[in-house]
Amino acid sequence: MDDTPMPPLRLDDLDRRRIDAALRGGTSRRDALRLLAAMGLGATAGASLLALPSDARAQAPRKGGRVRAAGISMSAADTLDPAKGSHSTDYTRHYLFYSGLTQLDGTLTPQPALAEEIRHEKAQVWTFTLRKGARFHDGSPLTPADVVYSLTRHRNPATASKVKTVAEQFAEVKASGPNQVQVRLATPNADLPVILAASHFLIVKDGAADFATANGTGPFTCKEFKPGVRTLAARFEGYWKPGRPYLDEVELIGIPDEPARVNALLAGDVQIAIAINARSTSRVKSSPGFAILETKSGLYTDLILRQDQAPGKNPDFVLAMKHLIDREQVKSAIFRGFAVAANDQPLPPTHRYFNASLPQRAFNLDKAKFHLQKSGFAGQKFPIVASAAAEGSIDMAVLLQQSAAKIGLTLQVNRVPGDGYWSNHWMKHPLGFGNVNPRPSADLLFTQFFKSDAPWNVSGWKNDQFDQLLLAARAEADEAKRKALYGDMQVIVHEKCGVGIPVFMSYVDGFTAKLKGLTSIPAGGFMGYMFAEHVWLDA
Amino acid sequence: MSAVARLATLPWPGRIGLAIVAFWLAMAAFGGFLAPHDVGAIVSQDVFGAFSARHPLGTDYLGRDMLSRILHGSRFTIGLALAAALAASTCGTAIALVAATAGGWVDEAVSRVMDAFISIPSKMLALVMVAAFGSSPALLILTAALSYTPGAFRIARALAVNVRTLDFVQAARARGEGLPYIAAVEILPNMVNPMLADFGLRFVFVVLLLSGMSFLGLGVQPPDADLGSLVRENISGLFEGAPAVIVPAAAIATLTVGVNMLIDSVSGRARAVEA
Amino acid sequence: MPEPARGLPGALGRFRGSLPALVVQRVAVGLVTLVVVSAIIFAITSLLPGDAAQAILGQAATPEAVAALRAQYGLDQPGPLRYLHWLAGLATGDLGRSYTAGVPVADLIAGRLPKSLMLAATTAAVSVPIALTIGIVSAMMRGGPVDRALNLITLCMVAVPEFLVATIAVLVFAVKLGWLSALSNAMDIATPTQFVRAYAMPVFTLCFVIIAQMARMTRAAVIDQLSASYVEMALLKGARPARVALRHALPNAIGPIANAVALSVSYLLGGVVIVEAIFSYPGVATLMVDAVTNRDMPIVQGCAMIFCAGYLLLVLAADLIAIAANPRLRHR
Repeated sequence: MDDTPMPPLRLDDLDRRRIDAALRGGTSRRDALRLLAAMGLGATAGASLLALPSDARAQAPRKGGRVRAAGISMSAADTLDPAKGSHSTDYTRHYLFYSGLTQLDGTLTPQPALAEEIRHEKAQVWTFTLRKGARFHDGSPLTPADVVYSLTRHRNPATASKVKTVAEQFAEVKASGPNQVQVRLATPNADLPVILAASHFLIVKDGAADFATANGTGPFTCKEFKPGVRTLAARFEGYWKPGRPYLDEVELIGIPDEPARVNALLAGDVQIAIAINARSTSRVKSSPGFAILETKSGLYTDLILRQDQAPGKNPDFVLAMKHLIDREQVKSAIFRGFAVAANDQPLPPTHRYFNASLPQRAFNLDKAKFHLQKSGFAGQKFPIVASAAAEGSIDMAVLLQQSAAKIGLTLQVNRVPGDGYWSNHWMKHPLGFGNVNPRPSADLLFTQFFKSDAPWNVSGWKNDQFDQLLLAARAEADEAKRKALYGDMQVIVHEKCGVGIPVFMSYVDGFTAKLKGLTSIPAGGFMGYMFAEHVWLDA
Repeated sequence: MSAVARLATLPWPGRIGLAIVAFWLAMAAFGGFLAPHDVGAIVSQDVFGAFSARHPLGTDYLGRDMLSRILHGSRFTIGLALAAALAASTCGTAIALVAATAGGWVDEAVSRVMDAFISIPSKMLALVMVAAFGSSPALLILTAALSYTPGAFRIARALAVNVRTLDFVQAARARGEGLPYIAAVEILPNMVNPMLADFGLRFVFVVLLLSGMSFLGLGVQPPDADLGSLVRENISGLFEGAPAVIVPAAAIATLTVGVNMLIDSVSGRARAVEA
Repeated sequence: MPEPARGLPGALGRFRGSLPALVVQRVAVGLVTLVVVSAIIFAITSLLPGDAAQAILGQAATPEAVAALRAQYGLDQPGPLRYLHWLAGLATGDLGRSYTAGVPVADLIAGRLPKSLMLAATTAAVSVPIALTIGIVSAMMRGGPVDRALNLITLCMVAVPEFLVATIAVLVFAVKLGWLSALSNAMDIATPTQFVRAYAMPVFTLCFVIIAQMARMTRAAVIDQLSASYVEMALLKGARPARVALRHALPNAIGPIANAVALSVSYLLGGVVIVEAIFSYPGVATLMVDAVTNRDMPIVQGCAMIFCAGYLLLVLAADLIAIAANPRLRHR
């Protein structure tokens, strides 16, 4: 952790608040992206400045070279269709070839990308002015039709989009000028620029249906794509960011076995590897010429107690279980310190709406025992379902089992296969585990996973007060009030919801020290899966 | 000669094998009671700890006592592997005898079904079975037995068919002996040796299948782990030479060698006695 | 009176005329076996919870989205009907289309099968001679120190989980020594050096797995024959033991040996998923396991057909060799 590159350059707090206010549809009615430009940072310059560590800025990026990157998975299900991306290797591949309307920086603030300018009316009607000169790999210019097609195709079930439910809020997407696209939302959502930065919403060519190869506006062109074997990308000379990318070629492969991934890195067969196990970090760090990058994030694996059935229906049982979570042990034993203790609510401490006044729930066997006795489930035996699909859940279940045994509760760990976990086990057992990727938008996170009628209301809870606060926060323009609303929601989730969040996990990448320009973008590993356009190889 | 007397006259490799097997059987039976710690208890801050007085076999990737985990784990490895290998070898031999002595369409039909099963990779079968029925010891035994019966059948049948063509079997046929008699009295004794050797290997294969399943995230339910899974879950410790990965691997090796040394000696003796 | 010369290759001549007929018959039977395999695969995979639509959508599998995707893939039809459709396609040589990849299964397999065959062939070429030599030498010196040493070595080799062998090999030869590549994705092989760099470690690992069985079966089979009465007769007549072992016992032991080799080699097609995963080797075993994970049944069936056909061919070869060695088998 000590030798990770410098954190990204941050805007000062005042600027952040102004941007936030603007993003939330504040009184100025000016959008944040134009604001950035007004602050003297050209849109593109702003993005790149934010992406570079200060020490790296001192060295001039060098053009050329080939990097082989090792992701976690590869299979025949690998895809070039952004809508279908289902894991980190897919996301990385999509960012190689496609650009989005916006792009997240190191603070998860959306920066202009294919959209040069973004305006909105009350966060409901959004107008995107497209960047002039952005071209697809086949030479054709970016047009509003491409954007309209890319955003509307998610709603077509035949697309099999992963973000169909998110895209359902796009009430209307239309070309509103020769270089403009207008998106009208069903309800106001100030987070739209954040949402559109996700890899699923990257822009494809109008009418694209056959994704045997990729035709995007991204930094690399697709030289070869063999599902389950490799992806070969070559620099796109016509990329809309001048001077980018630096690398000549990027080869993306998947190595599912973590020790094998680390070995491939240390043997020099790959130059960067994602998802290094915390237990392997010391090995990578102690190898000369290699480094790790820890990206603290909002990624969490949660204990799910279904509140529509016994025993989770009993609030005391829920509290007993939450007090049984030994967060420090989870952090140290399972994640070797590459995690931050969480407080049974989904916003990480780094989030701008994090409620710091909410006391940290501690591991407390006495309280757990008290609540367990009160719940009437003392001395009983329950199965708890865990799977490799939810990272760390098997070990968490085992730790929980140990703690539970001390207060007379028998938990029987039931490990189930990772395949089919999300369809067949997730949210379907009284006691189980889930896993949630970081979502830059608090609204998205609460709406998708905690709203009473959300399809992923994992614990099946129903809290009217929470639902009302959520709607109020979404429409609230005042930043301070909005933060207070989200703060209250965190308290309710912390106290009432059948979701126990032990820790927020870090993403850890390993890379050769020759690879420069790598920094954290907390949306995921590999610089939020976008490393390829930011990094260069030192001679 | 009785089995006990036969064991008493074993040559030295057989005795070593016997001692190792006896040791592991004892571990399987009583290891759980001897374990100083609970199998899932985190007892140390030190992960991949070295050999020490407090933790004679070091600690694992979470800081659990390896001695306790191996004592518990040996029960699964030995129990599951023994049961599955016995089932596979017995069923395989029995079916092969039936097929070989009956001959004709019975042989043909049985052989085709066995061929079909044998060509399904065992790890894939395990993946499907565990996904469909969940992971329990009974299911793991069934899966492993299903995976290895066709292989045992294949070898047993080849042996049986070979024996069948020998003169004394033809003579028995000519005498008008019934098929069960021919199978049990004339053919079976002549294939016992290779089948015993095969059993020893099948035992090893089941041990390895279990560890292979741990690679795919399947197997015994945590916090328990069979020996192969112990190797797998501690593989990161390999690079620092942690006992947590070396000891279970060594345990598998001694178990494997012991079982096979014993079998080799016993089958060698059996031959000598029969001859 | 036993017939000492029984099973000598020369004896085959009498049956040469009917061998093609045998092969034709076995191929026909093999086709039946393929259908049996597909039925078994269909039966056991229909036990799997979930389907391709749910697997593709993962966490995003809302009932509506799943229903739409099922309709698109034809998964809304009853399973047996889909199976019959697939079987009808198979009859015309069409393996169907993958749900997840959206391309013909035959294309996916064609891209990987040559790699799998290359790995299997290389491993077989290395391991079979080693295993047979170990087995025969052990049998001839049975009970002696060489036999015991070889026995111990092969047992220790097979006793190590293959992921451990592979990981240690990578650690030593790729990370520490830098001689070999940690990955064997076999994409850019042009020179023999590159071939060795890519294949050495996977082949090495797989040899660990399969040599022991072949060696032990060879040893057992040869010993079995060595103790047969005709061999004792030959020894009584004054033949040299080594000559007896090679000329008399070995030919009669070939049946079981060939079978053991066929079994072990067939493992090299479908059973090598761990080696493929660790070395990032794009073979068919991984394709099949991934397909099970993704509930992509056409791929699962296609791979099963390939594995079964490969196995049947190996077994046919083994049986032909056995018949050549022991012509009495023709009379069964």
